Amino acid sequence: MLRVRDVTVRFGGIVALDGVSLDLNRGEILGLIGPNGAGKTTLFNCISGVIAPDKGTIFFEGHSLVYAPPHVRARFGIARTFQNLQLWGSMTVAENLVVPMDALGRRNTFSDALHLPFSSYAERASMERARAILHVLDLDRYAGTLAGDLPAGIQRRVEIARALAMRPRLLLLDEPAAGLDAQETARLAELLHAVRERFHVSMLLVDHDMSLVMRVCDYVYVLDFGKLLARGQPAAIRTDPKVIAAYLGEESKKLEGEVATVVPTRPQHAPLLEVKQLAAGYGGLEVIRDVSLEVRPGEVVACIGANGAGKTTTLRAISGMIHPRRGRVMFGGRDVTGTSAERIAQLGLIHIPEGRGLFPNLSVEDTLRLVSNTAGHDVNITPAFELFPKLRQRRRQLVGTLSGGEQQMVALGRAILSEPRLVMIDEMSQGLAPTVVRQLFDIIRVFREQGIAVLLVEQFVESALDVADRAYVFEHGSIRLSGPAVELRADRKLVAGSYLGTAVDATAVAAANGNGHHVDPALMEIVSVRVPAKVKRALEQRAEVEGRPTGAVAIELLEKVDHQ
Amino acid sequence: MTSRLIFRVLIALVAFTVLARIPVGFDVGFKFDAGLAVIWAFALLSLVLLTGYVGQISLCQATFAGVGAYAAGMMSATFHVDYIVAVAVGVAAAFALGVIVGLPALRLHGITLAIVTLGIALVFDRYVFQDHAFEWLTGGTGGWRVGQASMFGLQMDSSKHLMGAYVVLLALFCLVALLLVNLHDSGAGRRFRAIRDSELAAATMGVNLTRYKLLAFGMSAAIAGMGGAFYPLVAGSVSPQPFWLFTSLQFAAIAVLMGVRYVPAAALGGAFMAFVPDVLTRYGHGTLFGRQYEISYDWFQIAVGVLLIVQLITLPDGVWGDLRHRVLNARSAAGALRGRKVEVA
Repeated sequence: MLRVRDVTVRFGGIVALDGVSLDLNRGEILGLIGPNGAGKTTLFNCISGVIAPDKGTIFFEGHSLVYAPPHVRARFGIARTFQNLQLWGSMTVAENLVVPMDALGRRNTFSDALHLPFSSYAERASMERARAILHVLDLDRYAGTLAGDLPAGIQRRVEIARALAMRPRLLLLDEPAAGLDAQETARLAELLHAVRERFHVSMLLVDHDMSLVMRVCDYVYVLDFGKLLARGQPAAIRTDPKVIAAYLGEESKKLEGEVATVVPTRPQHAPLLEVKQLAAGYGGLEVIRDVSLEVRPGEVVACIGANGAGKTTTLRAISGMIHPRRGRVMFGGRDVTGTSAERIAQLGLIHIPEGRGLFPNLSVEDTLRLVSNTAGHDVNITPAFELFPKLRQRRRQLVGTLSGGEQQMVALGRAILSEPRLVMIDEMSQGLAPTVVRQLFDIIRVFREQGIAVLLVEQFVESALDVADRAYVFEHGSIRLSGPAVELRADRKLVAGSYLGTAVDATAVAAANGNGHHVDPALMEIVSVRVPAKVKRALEQRAEVEGRPTGAVAIELLEKVDHQ
Repeated sequence: MTSRLIFRVLIALVAFTVLARIPVGFDVGFKFDAGLAVIWAFALLSLVLLTGYVGQISLCQATFAGVGAYAAGMMSATFHVDYIVAVAVGVAAAFALGVIVGLPALRLHGITLAIVTLGIALVFDRYVFQDHAFEWLTGGTGGWRVGQASMFGLQMDSSKHLMGAYVVLLALFCLVALLLVNLHDSGAGRRFRAIRDSELAAATMGVNLTRYKLLAFGMSAAIAGMGGAFYPLVAGSVSPQPFWLFTSLQFAAIAVLMGVRYVPAAALGGAFMAFVPDVLTRYGHGTLFGRQYEISYDWFQIAVGVLLIVQLITLPDGVWGDLRHRVLNARSAAGALRGRKVEVA
């Protein structure tokens, strides 16, 4: 049905996609996954018509899609949803569905404005169909509500409903689980299955959220660095060592002894940073909820987890770049919740954002001298050059012309000059070569020796766990696991679970191993949230027959699956 | 649906009868203001369609009105056609220019589109309307004088028969306003609003952006041109001054002030633009605490600026828009108090 052949896309000198081919058959739900920067969004954009490939062909039922404008693709029967919710907010939900139906029919602006019978009749027919679709998706009660007033989870469903209003044969779903919590994601998975059965539509799904992809898709393509890394059934992909390596980074070959040298946590100190039940978000989306964490003086703490799990948002809420909605942030014994970003920086909490937050048109030296501005007195910039001798040679060069690694050095150098007590670094290694990343991680160790606490958000999980004392694993906007880095490192499977959506099995097995058949209520909650209603009911029935708690049955079953 | 349509037609008819009666008995100056008010209201109505419905920015609506005015003036003064034919030509000319101006809008958004339309307004203001090369259209420095004009065979030149022109103008305005209100809830209106809310989504859902954006610009220019086409008739002559760049900016400001998404706000804005400066210059002088004072036209500009700032803070959906919300809210609150079943969104 959809045939993608040898598609290559270049952005400047970077090859975003390198000869990727893909086939989607009628009635299939195809998943497209890959770590950050793997090129899945680029491929999705090629298929949905946002960018044209430099090389290669894309055919949909015999029509070439390479040069078809968006509204023509719509006529071919391709519909899509958007990651960042593109509903028409000032129209009601029903109207949102009527627009694509009308746009694809033959209509006339003037007869519409005059409400001629021809237009009114078509109008009523469209409205009827809109209501029918809303009924199937269980959205009837929102038909008259303005789409912009709905919560994000419902808006996602309406986007799917609107796409279905086009009577598509292929539905492209761009990160439909972004910003949804575990329960909403589970409901979305059910919805997608229902949609396939009721509307006979094939789907291509791009998502970071593996729990959704694994549950919904028939077949999965994995991209890495613009190339096809693997393809196969979800179960096979989930255990594919190549895929796990792509997500978590290569398993480091370090000796156990070296790992043990990591300074153990220092509980005797009062926490330097204490975050309690923090919630924050953007617009209608609540990205993090109930996040509690702490960093003690001189400690290195890593935040890991899949994309969109809320790590960056947590840092931004701590440093005052966005306003927390609930919860408290304590820094050095002071309540700094909602304090302005520059005030927090003056207290000694430095945030190096994703993309480093540098000024491309300032020289290295000027950038470092700017610290005097925050500190309020002249700052000697030589310590930064001692830490990064390379920067001394480049002191007159404009920051924008430096390589990514050098830029990160400038950012770290600037941070250390302001004599911080805590540095938060967001995606330090993003877009950098492995050797450069290793150097930067060594610098983190220097920070710790100087007694500076570090809170890291990192996608290279292995490297992050090597350097960190403790770590928090984020999933769906809250903290799923936490503990000493050494332990998390040892339980690779547990961490992989939060990336590949196997957290249930892993946690369940861990609990079962530890406590025999004792049922942890928290575990039961996870199980009940993540299992489709049908399965849950089956579990409950069986539990009743056997006279055992539901959780125990669930764990037994999961264990069995794990052994097979 | 149909009962709503009948209700709207009735409202339009009532508005027409009431508004047509109001200027009777006032002096020529006010009658002229009344005609001007409807002409400006047309221009504001064109922004309701273009900005309010489709979300496109234009800072050259006065240019469209000017093209309508000059084309109609030329047809009437040179070819002595029935004035309704002159209006039709003016509308057609404005429509054509609107489609051309719409072309850059296919690629541009927001501030860049505003700058481009500003440039078009500037070019027409400084070059076309005031250059010898276009004397065939503008009638030279003196402009066109419309001395003898008739519509549907009725005498309609400016000074004596001002009311006749006003009534025809008002009738046309009510008709176009009614069409626009209808358009809002129709399929085409929804496609327009889809473009406003998310262009990307509209295109992916099968809305042909090229067609609908050009149509919106053309229709908007035609509406502004229709008002402009009556200018020579109402004022007796046509000159570049009323259609210069600043008028375009004033249209944008007053459209936002009154509520750019609402058709009645255009009527309100037109009246505001025509009457307030005149009233200020007529009665805005005298003595206060023993001192002479005089309010000039400049005060109107300052007042608009201050009002705009106040409005954006206190009434973000425009004067008409916010008052409308308040009345609707009060009504549903009152309904709830009386224990009636109230539709709650």
